[in-house]
Amino acid sequence: MEIEIISFGKIAEFIANQQLAVDGVETTAHLKDFLEKEFPQLANIKYKLALNKTIIQETTELKSGDTVALMPPFSGG
Amino acid sequence: MASERYHRQLILEGFGANAQSKLTAAKVLVIGAGGLGCPALQYLAAAGVGLIGIADDDTVALSNLHRQILYTTNDIGKPKAKIAAQRLHAMNPEIDIVAHVLRIESINVLEILKAYDFVLDGSDNFESRYLINDACSLLKKPLIFAAVADYEGQLAIFNVKDDKGETTNYRDLFPIAPKPGEIANCAENGVIGVLPGIIGTMAASETIKMITGIGKPLVNKLLHYNLLNNEQYELAIVAGNDYQLPQNEADLMAFKYNHSALTEPMVIEIDATELNNLQQKTSTLLIDVREIHEVPTLNQAIYRQIPMSSFADFLSTDVEEQNIVLICQHGIRSVAAAEALAEKYGNTKNIYSLKGGIVKWRNYFIN
Repeated sequence: MEIEIISFGKIAEFIANQQLAVDGVETTAHLKDFLEKEFPQLANIKYKLALNKTIIQETTELKSGDTVALMPPFSGG
Repeated sequence: MASERYHRQLILEGFGANAQSKLTAAKVLVIGAGGLGCPALQYLAAAGVGLIGIADDDTVALSNLHRQILYTTNDIGKPKAKIAAQRLHAMNPEIDIVAHVLRIESINVLEILKAYDFVLDGSDNFESRYLINDACSLLKKPLIFAAVADYEGQLAIFNVKDDKGETTNYRDLFPIAPKPGEIANCAENGVIGVLPGIIGTMAASETIKMITGIGKPLVNKLLHYNLLNNEQYELAIVAGNDYQLPQNEADLMAFKYNHSALTEPMVIEIDATELNNLQQKTSTLLIDVREIHEVPTLNQAIYRQIPMSSFADFLSTDVEEQNIVLICQHGIRSVAAAEALAEKYGNTKNIYSLKGGIVKWRNYFIN
C-alpha cells in the first residue's frame, strides 16, 4: 500500500514529503505507530493527523493512494 | 466625509453600504499587538471597524521593529497597546479604539472578551492561546486564530457554526498545550517580518469576511501557508472528544494554563557597580555582543565575544552559568540580546544588560 505523507513546520525537518510504501499498515493508528518508530523525533512532538485533508479524531482505515498530513501547533505572533 | 473615506469599498460589488454599516457596528478585540497584531489592526482600523480593542502588556523592543510595523525606533520601551492605539487613531479618528495595557489572564479574560463580538488571537505563546481559546469557547465568541512558525503560518476560525450547525475550537486540533521548549517561538527560532505581515493581514481579512458575511471564511478549517514556496494547504477540522473545556467561570479560573505572567522573564538593566558585583560571583557569564571590528576591544578571557550577527547560533546552545550579562557599545543591542535570552530561559536564569554600554562605563573597561 502506498500513502502520500505531507508534513509541516518542525516535522518537515525530519520527515520529507514522500510516497511511503507501507505493508501491514491498515489504519491511521498503525501509521502513527509506524511513523513514530521510523522517525523517533515525531513521538516527542504534539501533532494532528489529517487524512485526505480532514482532521482525524478516531482511528480510520487507510487505503492505497490516501494522503496523510502531519500538522504541529504554531504559537508565534 | 465618512463615505469618502470608505468610498472604494462602498462601490465594490458585493460589499457596499450594507457591509460598511456592519463594520461600523462591529467590536473586535485584537490580542497581541505584535507581528500579527500590527497589520491586522491597521487593516481593521482602516476598513472602519467601529470599536477595536488592543490587548498587550508588552513594550516595544528594538528586535520587534523588523515585523511590528506600527512602531518606530522612538517608541522603544513604550507600551505597545498605547502606541498602537495612537497610530490607529491618527489613521482613522472616526472609530473607537481602546488600549488594554495588560496581559490577558484567567482573572481578566472573560470580562474583557464580553465587551467584543470577535476576538483575533495574535498572541505569541501557547499559554495565552489556550486561555483565549477556552474563554472564547465558554462565551461562544467567534475566534480568529492566527499563528506563525519559521516560514509558515496557520489560520482558523473557531466557535462559529458551519452549515451543518457544528462548531470547533483549537483543542479539536491540539487537545493539550505543548510543553515549554517542545515547539520553538519566534524569539528562539527567528522570523522574517513579512510572514506575520501576511498571516496578520489574512486574519484581518477573515475577520472582515465574518463581520460582513462576504465570501467563505475559514470556519472549521485550518489553513496552512508556506511563505517559501507559496503553498497553501487547507484541512477540515472536525470536533474531537479527547479534552475538556471549562464549563463555567470557576472552571476557567481553576484551570492550569501555566501562565508565565507571575514568573515573566525579566531583563534587568544594571550599572558598572552591579556588573562588578556580578563579576565576583562564580556562575556569571559576561557576553560582548558587539561585532568583532568594534573598539575598544575587551579582554576575551573575561568577556566572551558573541556578535549579534551570530547570536541566533548562540541561542540554540545551552548556557550553564546562572547569571548572564550582555554588553554592547551603548546598551541597546545588549537589551535585544538579553530579551532573546530571557525568552529562552524564562525565570530559570538571571539575565542582565549593561545600561549605557561600554561608552558610558568606558573607565570601567579601560584601566
